[in-house]
Amino acid sequence: MSAAEAITDSTFKEEVLESPIPVLVDFWAPWCGPCRMVSPVVDKIAIQYEGQVKVVKVNTDDNPAVASQYGIRSIPTLMIFKDGQRVDMVVGAVPESTLATTLEKYL
Amino acid sequence: MNPPTETNQATDKSLEAMRYFSETYAKRTGTYFCSDLGVTAVVIEGLAKHKDDLGAPLCPCRHYEDKEAEVRATYWNCPCVPMRERKECHCMLFLTPDNPFVGTEQDISFDQIRETTSQY
Repeated sequence: MSAAEAITDSTFKEEVLESPIPVLVDFWAPWCGPCRMVSPVVDKIAIQYEGQVKVVKVNTDDNPAVASQYGIRSIPTLMIFKDGQRVDMVVGAVPESTLATTLEKYL
Repeated sequence: MNPPTETNQATDKSLEAMRYFSETYAKRTGTYFCSDLGVTAVVIEGLAKHKDDLGAPLCPCRHYEDKEAEVRATYWNCPCVPMRERKECHCMLFLTPDNPFVGTEQDISFDQIRETTSQY
Protein backbone atom coordinates (compact mmCIF):
# COMPACT_ATOMS: atom_id res chain seq x y z
CA MET A 1 0.00 0.00 0.00
CA SER A 2 1.41 3.33 -1.05
CA ALA A 3 1.68 6.12 1.51
CA ALA A 4 0.83 8.67 -1.18
CA GLU A 5 -2.75 9.25 -2.23
CA ALA A 6 -3.75 8.96 -5.91
CA ILE A 7 -5.08 12.25 -7.28
CA THR A 8 -7.09 12.76 -10.47
CA ASP A 9 -7.90 15.65 -12.81
CA SER A 10 -11.15 16.18 -10.89
CA THR A 11 -9.67 16.12 -7.37
CA PHE A 12 -6.45 18.06 -8.06
CA LYS A 13 -7.88 21.49 -7.20
CA GLU A 14 -9.30 20.44 -3.87
CA GLU A 15 -6.51 18.09 -2.79
CA VAL A 16 -3.49 20.05 -4.05
CA LEU A 17 -4.29 23.70 -4.77
CA GLU A 18 -6.53 24.15 -1.73
CA SER A 19 -4.35 22.19 0.69
CA PRO A 20 -3.48 24.09 3.89
CA ILE A 21 -0.01 22.47 3.94
CA PRO A 22 2.60 22.12 1.14
CA VAL A 23 1.99 19.30 -1.33
CA LEU A 24 4.51 17.10 -3.13
CA VAL A 25 3.05 15.78 -6.39
CA ASP A 26 4.62 12.77 -8.12
CA PHE A 27 3.68 12.76 -11.82
CA TRP A 28 4.22 9.22 -13.09
CA ALA A 29 3.21 6.86 -15.91
CA PRO A 30 2.62 3.09 -15.86
CA TRP A 31 5.63 1.76 -17.82
CA CYS A 32 8.19 4.41 -16.89
CA GLY A 33 11.26 2.75 -15.37
CA PRO A 34 12.66 5.68 -13.34
CA CYS A 35 9.16 6.26 -11.91
CA ARG A 36 9.52 2.89 -10.18
CA MET A 37 12.72 4.13 -8.56
CA VAL A 38 11.19 7.38 -7.37
CA SER A 39 8.00 5.84 -6.00
CA PRO A 40 9.54 4.29 -2.84
CA VAL A 41 11.48 7.51 -2.19
CA VAL A 42 8.26 9.50 -2.36
CA ASP A 43 6.55 7.01 -0.03
CA LYS A 44 9.35 7.41 2.52
CA ILE A 45 9.05 11.19 2.34
CA ALA A 46 5.30 10.87 2.94
CA ILE A 47 5.91 8.99 6.18
CA GLN A 48 8.86 11.13 7.30
CA TYR A 49 7.02 14.43 6.81
CA GLU A 50 3.56 13.27 7.82
CA GLY A 51 1.46 16.25 8.96
CA GLN A 52 3.94 18.75 7.46
CA VAL A 53 3.70 17.81 3.79
CA LYS A 54 0.96 16.10 1.84
CA VAL A 55 2.27 13.63 -0.73
CA VAL A 56 0.16 12.62 -3.74
CA LYS A 57 0.59 10.83 -7.08
CA VAL A 58 -0.85 11.64 -10.49
CA ASN A 59 -0.93 9.05 -13.29
CA THR A 60 -0.34 11.34 -16.30
CA ASP A 61 -1.86 8.88 -18.79
CA ASP A 62 -5.18 8.85 -16.94
CA ASN A 63 -5.10 12.54 -15.95
CA PRO A 64 -3.88 14.45 -19.00
CA ALA A 65 -5.55 17.76 -18.08
CA VAL A 66 -3.44 18.40 -14.97
CA ALA A 67 -0.29 17.05 -16.67
CA SER A 68 -0.79 19.39 -19.61
CA GLN A 69 -1.72 22.37 -17.46
CA TYR A 70 1.61 22.13 -15.63
CA GLY A 71 3.59 21.37 -18.78
CA ILE A 72 4.71 17.90 -17.75
CA ARG A 73 7.04 16.44 -20.40
CA SER A 74 9.73 14.25 -18.90
CA ILE A 75 8.51 11.66 -16.40
CA PRO A 76 8.93 11.28 -13.49
CA THR A 77 8.48 14.92 -12.52
CA LEU A 78 8.04 15.90 -8.88
CA MET A 79 6.39 19.25 -8.16
CA ILE A 80 5.97 21.11 -4.91
CA PHE A 81 2.86 23.25 -4.40
CA LYS A 82 2.37 25.76 -1.64
CA ASP A 83 -0.72 27.95 -1.16
CA GLY A 84 -2.04 26.87 -4.55
CA GLN A 85 1.14 27.81 -6.42
CA ARG A 86 3.83 25.63 -7.93
CA VAL A 87 7.00 26.62 -6.08
CA ASP A 88 9.56 24.03 -7.18
CA MET A 89 10.17 21.06 -9.45
CA VAL A 90 12.55 18.09 -9.69
CA VAL A 91 12.79 16.08 -12.92
CA GLY A 92 13.97 12.48 -13.12
CA ALA A 93 15.07 9.93 -10.53
CA VAL A 94 16.66 11.67 -7.53
CA PRO A 95 18.04 10.43 -4.22
CA GLU A 96 15.94 10.90 -1.08
CA SER A 97 18.38 13.49 0.30
CA THR A 98 17.97 15.75 -2.75
CA LEU A 99 14.21 15.61 -2.50
CA ALA A 100 14.24 16.23 1.26
CA THR A 101 16.56 19.26 0.85
CA THR A 102 14.29 20.73 -1.81
CA LEU A 103 11.23 20.14 0.33
CA GLU A 104 12.72 21.65 3.51
CA LYS A 105 12.83 25.08 1.82
CA TYR A 106 9.04 25.26 1.88
CA LEU A 107 8.26 24.06 5.40
CA MET B 1 -6.60 12.90 -26.87
CA ASN B 2 -4.89 9.71 -25.83
CA PRO B 3 -6.81 6.51 -25.25
CA PRO B 4 -7.01 5.51 -21.56
CA THR B 5 -4.12 3.28 -20.60
CA GLU B 6 -3.86 0.51 -18.09
CA THR B 7 -0.87 -1.32 -16.75
CA ASN B 8 -1.28 -4.14 -19.25
CA GLN B 9 1.64 -6.08 -20.58
CA ALA B 10 2.64 -6.04 -24.23
CA THR B 11 2.34 -9.00 -26.59
CA ASP B 12 5.15 -11.58 -26.38
CA LYS B 13 6.13 -10.77 -29.96
CA SER B 14 6.65 -7.05 -29.33
CA LEU B 15 8.37 -7.67 -26.01
CA GLU B 16 10.85 -10.03 -27.64
CA ALA B 17 11.46 -7.54 -30.46
CA MET B 18 12.17 -4.69 -28.02
CA ARG B 19 14.24 -6.93 -25.75
CA TYR B 20 16.44 -7.95 -28.68
CA PHE B 21 16.68 -4.35 -29.89
CA SER B 22 17.73 -3.16 -26.41
CA GLU B 23 20.53 -5.71 -26.10
CA THR B 24 21.83 -5.02 -29.59
CA TYR B 25 21.62 -1.24 -29.26
CA ALA B 26 23.40 -1.22 -25.87
CA LYS B 27 26.28 -3.23 -27.32
CA ARG B 28 26.47 -1.08 -30.45
CA THR B 29 26.59 2.18 -28.49
CA GLY B 30 28.80 1.01 -25.58
CA THR B 31 26.04 1.68 -23.05
CA TYR B 32 24.81 -0.51 -20.20
CA PHE B 33 21.53 -1.26 -18.46
CA CYS B 34 20.67 0.18 -15.06
CA SER B 35 22.14 -1.54 -12.00
CA ASP B 36 18.49 -2.17 -11.06
CA LEU B 37 17.34 -4.41 -13.93
CA GLY B 38 13.76 -3.89 -12.76
CA VAL B 39 13.98 -0.41 -14.29
CA THR B 40 15.23 -1.93 -17.56
CA ALA B 41 12.40 -4.48 -17.55
CA VAL B 42 9.68 -1.87 -17.02
CA VAL B 43 11.00 0.39 -19.80
CA ILE B 44 11.29 -2.48 -22.31
CA GLU B 45 7.71 -3.53 -21.47
CA GLY B 46 6.61 0.09 -21.98
CA LEU B 47 8.32 0.33 -25.37
CA ALA B 48 6.73 -2.96 -26.44
CA LYS B 49 3.31 -1.79 -25.24
CA HIS B 50 3.60 1.39 -27.31
CA LYS B 51 4.70 -0.69 -30.29
CA ASP B 52 1.53 -2.77 -29.90
CA ASP B 53 -0.81 0.18 -29.33
CA LEU B 54 0.73 2.82 -31.59
CA GLY B 55 2.88 0.93 -34.08
CA ALA B 56 6.14 2.46 -32.81
CA PRO B 57 8.18 2.24 -29.59
CA LEU B 58 7.41 5.72 -28.30
CA CYS B 59 9.37 6.60 -25.14
CA PRO B 60 7.33 5.56 -22.05
CA CYS B 61 9.00 8.23 -19.86
CA ARG B 62 7.33 11.26 -21.41
CA HIS B 63 3.88 12.81 -21.23
CA TYR B 64 2.31 13.54 -24.63
CA GLU B 65 -0.79 15.53 -25.54
CA ASP B 66 -1.31 13.22 -28.50
CA LYS B 67 0.64 9.98 -28.69
CA GLU B 68 -0.26 9.22 -32.30
CA ALA B 69 1.00 12.63 -33.45
CA GLU B 70 4.23 12.08 -31.50
CA VAL B 71 4.79 8.74 -33.22
CA ARG B 72 4.46 10.50 -36.58
CA ALA B 73 6.86 13.22 -35.46
CA THR B 74 9.38 10.38 -34.68
CA TYR B 75 11.52 12.47 -32.27
CA TRP B 76 10.67 10.33 -29.20
CA ASN B 77 10.52 6.97 -30.97
CA CYS B 78 13.21 4.76 -29.41
CA PRO B 79 16.09 5.26 -29.93
CA CYS B 80 15.11 8.93 -29.61
CA VAL B 81 17.04 11.87 -31.04
CA PRO B 82 18.78 12.80 -27.73
CA MET B 83 20.01 9.19 -27.43
CA ARG B 84 21.21 9.00 -31.02
CA GLU B 85 22.91 12.40 -30.86
CA ARG B 86 24.22 12.58 -27.28
CA LYS B 87 23.61 9.15 -25.66
CA GLU B 88 21.04 10.74 -23.35
CA CYS B 89 18.33 8.33 -22.21
CA HIS B 90 16.28 9.87 -19.40
CA CYS B 91 14.34 6.59 -19.21
CA MET B 92 17.56 4.99 -17.90
CA LEU B 93 17.47 2.12 -20.40
CA PHE B 94 20.83 2.92 -22.00
CA LEU B 95 23.35 4.37 -19.53
CA THR B 96 26.87 5.55 -20.25
CA PRO B 97 29.62 4.14 -17.96
CA ASP B 98 29.92 7.45 -16.05
CA ASN B 99 26.25 7.41 -14.96
CA PRO B 100 25.82 6.82 -11.18
CA PHE B 101 23.03 4.31 -11.86
CA VAL B 102 24.93 2.27 -14.47
CA GLY B 103 25.18 -1.51 -14.11
CA THR B 104 27.33 -4.07 -15.90
CA GLU B 105 24.73 -5.85 -18.05
CA GLN B 106 23.94 -5.55 -21.75
CA ASP B 107 21.71 -8.62 -21.71
CA ILE B 108 18.31 -9.28 -20.17
CA SER B 109 16.16 -12.37 -20.74
CA PHE B 110 12.48 -12.49 -21.61
CA ASP B 111 11.77 -14.23 -18.31
CA GLN B 112 13.71 -11.62 -16.34
CA ILE B 113 11.53 -8.90 -17.85
CA ARG B 114 8.26 -10.69 -17.18
CA GLU B 115 9.31 -11.59 -13.65
CA THR B 116 9.37 -7.87 -12.89
CA THR B 117 6.47 -6.64 -14.98
CA SER B 118 4.06 -9.37 -13.88
CA GLN B 119 4.10 -7.78 -10.43
CA TYR B 120 2.28 -4.68 -11.67
